[in-house]
Amino acid sequence: MSRRLPDAAVGPLLVVPAVLLLGGVVAWPLASALWLSLHSLYTPTLEGPWVGLGNYAAVAGDGAFWHALARTLVWTAGSLSLQLLLGVGFALLLHREMRMRGLARGLVLFPYFVSTVVAVLVWRWLLNDLYGLVNQLLLASGLRDTPVDFLGVMPNAMLSAVAIGAWKFFPFVTIAVLARLQTIPDQLYDAARLDGAGAWDRFRDVTLPELGQVLGIVVLLRAIWDFKEFDLVFLLTGGGPVDSTRTLPLLVYQQAFGLNQMGLAAAHAVAMMLVMLVFAGLWSLAMRVRA
Amino acid sequence: MKGRLLTALTWALVLLAAFPLGWMVLTSVKPAEEFFASPPTILPRGLTLEHYARLLRDTPFLKYFGNSMVLAGSTTVLVVLLATAGAWGLTRYAWSGREWVARAVLAAYLLPSVVLILPLYLMMVRLGLANTIASLVLAYASFALPYALWLLRAFMAGIPRDLESAALIDGASRLGAFVDVVLPQALPGIVSTALFTFILAWNEYLFALVLVNTDEARPLTTGVMSMLASAMNVEWPLLMAASVLMSVPLILMLGFLQSYLTRELSAGGVKG
Amino acid sequence: MPQRSARTDRTGPTRRAVIGGIAGTGAALLSGCGSAGTRKTLRWWSPQASPDQVAGYRRQIARFEAAHPGIRVRFEPTSDEGYPAQLAAAFASGQVPNIVTHLPSFAAQGYYARGLLEPMDDVVRAIGPDRYYPHANDVYRTADGKLCAVAFGNTAVDMLWMRRDLMARAGISEPPRTWDQLRAACRAMQRDGTYGAPLPFGSNSMTSLIFVGFVHRAGGQVFAPDLSVGLDAEPTYAALDFYRSMREFCPPGATGFGWAESLNAFTSGATATGIYGGRVLGNVARQNPKLSGQLVCATYPTRAGGAAWTFNDFPSVLIPRGAPHLAETKMFAAGLFDPAGYVPTLLSAPGHILPPLKPIAESKTFLSDPVIAANRPAVELMATSAANGRNLGFESEKHRPNPRAGEVIASNVLARMVQQVVLENVNPRTAVGEAAVHLDRLMKA
Repeated sequence: MSRRLPDAAVGPLLVVPAVLLLGGVVAWPLASALWLSLHSLYTPTLEGPWVGLGNYAAVAGDGAFWHALARTLVWTAGSLSLQLLLGVGFALLLHREMRMRGLARGLVLFPYFVSTVVAVLVWRWLLNDLYGLVNQLLLASGLRDTPVDFLGVMPNAMLSAVAIGAWKFFPFVTIAVLARLQTIPDQLYDAARLDGAGAWDRFRDVTLPELGQVLGIVVLLRAIWDFKEFDLVFLLTGGGPVDSTRTLPLLVYQQAFGLNQMGLAAAHAVAMMLVMLVFAGLWSLAMRVRA
Repeated sequence: MKGRLLTALTWALVLLAAFPLGWMVLTSVKPAEEFFASPPTILPRGLTLEHYARLLRDTPFLKYFGNSMVLAGSTTVLVVLLATAGAWGLTRYAWSGREWVARAVLAAYLLPSVVLILPLYLMMVRLGLANTIASLVLAYASFALPYALWLLRAFMAGIPRDLESAALIDGASRLGAFVDVVLPQALPGIVSTALFTFILAWNEYLFALVLVNTDEARPLTTGVMSMLASAMNVEWPLLMAASVLMSVPLILMLGFLQSYLTRELSAGGVKG
Repeated sequence: MPQRSARTDRTGPTRRAVIGGIAGTGAALLSGCGSAGTRKTLRWWSPQASPDQVAGYRRQIARFEAAHPGIRVRFEPTSDEGYPAQLAAAFASGQVPNIVTHLPSFAAQGYYARGLLEPMDDVVRAIGPDRYYPHANDVYRTADGKLCAVAFGNTAVDMLWMRRDLMARAGISEPPRTWDQLRAACRAMQRDGTYGAPLPFGSNSMTSLIFVGFVHRAGGQVFAPDLSVGLDAEPTYAALDFYRSMREFCPPGATGFGWAESLNAFTSGATATGIYGGRVLGNVARQNPKLSGQLVCATYPTRAGGAAWTFNDFPSVLIPRGAPHLAETKMFAAGLFDPAGYVPTLLSAPGHILPPLKPIAESKTFLSDPVIAANRPAVELMATSAANGRNLGFESEKHRPNPRAGEVIASNVLARMVQQVVLENVNPRTAVGEAAVHLDRLMKA
């Protein structure tokens, strides 16, 4: 067994299957979407004339895109910060030794694995002003004497969307962080304790740096996914009241299947992609600066 | 004392996060007349399993359930295999273009799925895979792969080289060293990747909607929704029963798998 | 006057046929049914797929298959939210279902205008044109004189529902006929935690669709008969003013009401009036039986001196172009109306979808259903209102069919206008003006 492939060949070889699948299944629809964005298309037939950059001009000039972008940034930033806070917090709590820890960890994942459609239906029911539990508790405890309209007025609608988004996705952060916490060697903490570091210092000087890379990935992925999130916001508020929660994914969907303008929708989507590329670039810089 | 307080706090927060599940369970055993009682009742006044019975007996729920299991299981296996190999290739071995490949795979995430589904569906039609579970497996695996690669890369980067080198010096083959030394270290990462992939495949709605139209291959998400929840009318009792049935197996599986995330398995190599 | 060609100029059929051919071969190979030469399979899509309704469909399929060995029919559920995407995929790839039921009439008009549907005149001939109520299929007449679809049933979507007990308690002897009377009635009945009405003020299709009804009841229209925008006129302002004045009688959460919430608000007793179709009857019978004997149904009140207008979304039967086995499909379409199977299917949501065929509406089997029998006056009123009903795709007999009505609703322009005026206190002139501009752009896109 002395004939070995050189190291430089093994690396790429291991990656080839993944790249093949991605190239085969994703690359073509991606290229297709770019191609579609240069036409004005009727969705059910995907047929229509070439308009070159006409769709992009509409995207840039029409206020709808920029407003939707602002709302998307608000939702993403708000929800992501809460997801990180809750996610890391729960991970630290669930890392400790305690009875039936396994059950607790399973339960905390519930928001993430329940189907978004079901989760939103349940939350809409709970926040309902007529039969909802939340309003019932508020009224019974005397904190309010009329029900709160959680989803139909601003800023409640955006706040509810941010909060429910945080509830839905924080377990992703928790699991990734928990897994990484397992592999931080004890000696690092012992050494820090010997130096007299308290709990917060240990967290800041040992845990956080060790978590750095995983947290970086988690922020990147969650930011991308939150930016693109459609189901949750759409089902929760439908974009209302009066468009105040109409984020970019909702706008794209409306154009693609409501207005049957697939070319324009694709142009909006490509514009979204450019925005995300800018942020990915900034993220890359930030990671390099850290290291 | 502080320990017990923290434990109590932990449980309080966990139960708060998961209480909609409890609410779903309680609601699913309420008789239909209690549903819209105003003021709402928290604890059911009557108990009935009729909604579960109706769901299992009169609807294709079990078929959808089976389809989802096959779909999510196959996707997870595929992704774990490809991503573990791929992440190792991107971490352990230095080769030119490595960073670019790692970045390029993220391109899969940059467009919202809405504009991708029609071209994807057309492609599946051309491959003759339209309306099959296989088309969903391919689509989901492709969208799970980039994050699986990045996540595993992050885990594998934290594994010290000396262990593997030691094994290689001892005469082990690359594959042997990988399996004996690296895999156990990366196991928490692999398990979380598997969990996430399974959940993604289990819950995804939009692609399932467009790529599969026949009950033979239809998964739970679209099946349950088109059956029970439309804009005009929501069959609440059945929907709650379906939601509980959709969630409980996942909780059980997760409870079982999460033990692989504990430190016992990764003990040994790390302390060296 | 904008002329719209009924066909777009495409190279489509050739490409789609090729794709369809490849896909068909591939699928056949993969599914291994190479010897299924004589078996013809028809695919039936519908977004109305609750378990009760599906049970009804399966019975109809069983009867048809028994009468026609060699033909199999497969029912595939879709959804109100999902069908635009699914049908788009189907049309784009050539993998279309054979028959689609329960889509609103303007969806049928929209697809037909793009050459995507088969004309249904043969099917009507097979069913028997004289069995229909007069004008039952008018809404499906297209610019080229054919029928783009056939009425599966009629639904009177925005009837006024009231409760005898609450009316008696407030001293109201009969349902209101005008807006002023409605307002007064809601004010009188709004007490002890019960609200007056469940009108929607949400950013969704229900708000748009319901409001169209109010514009008409004020004597106005959204589009003129030639399909130019007719929204910016006095009746719209009157309707907005009235709609705004009703806000205080609706629950706070009405800002998020969709069909399901509005329906539940009434059937659970949270509001004194309802605005919905016949599903109220079945839901009350199942979920809140103590209200069963108390229900009163009336056409929705109009502005003083205004004409009645009922929204009928006209659940339809249509046949996409390009599906295989066209002759068998048309046979099946006609067979859907065979009373033995049709009546039980209708009765799975009693009173909600009413037959457009006179003999069936008057048949004993239909009328002896317990829910229908217990609510005869309501059902009859809904049947006549629906038969004379209209929707955004067909606002009056003088109007040309509007193939872009679906897109108008999906664009949310009307709901947005309502929300701006009612929730944000925007000057109605501004809001209506903006909406008219959007509508104009949409029609010209």
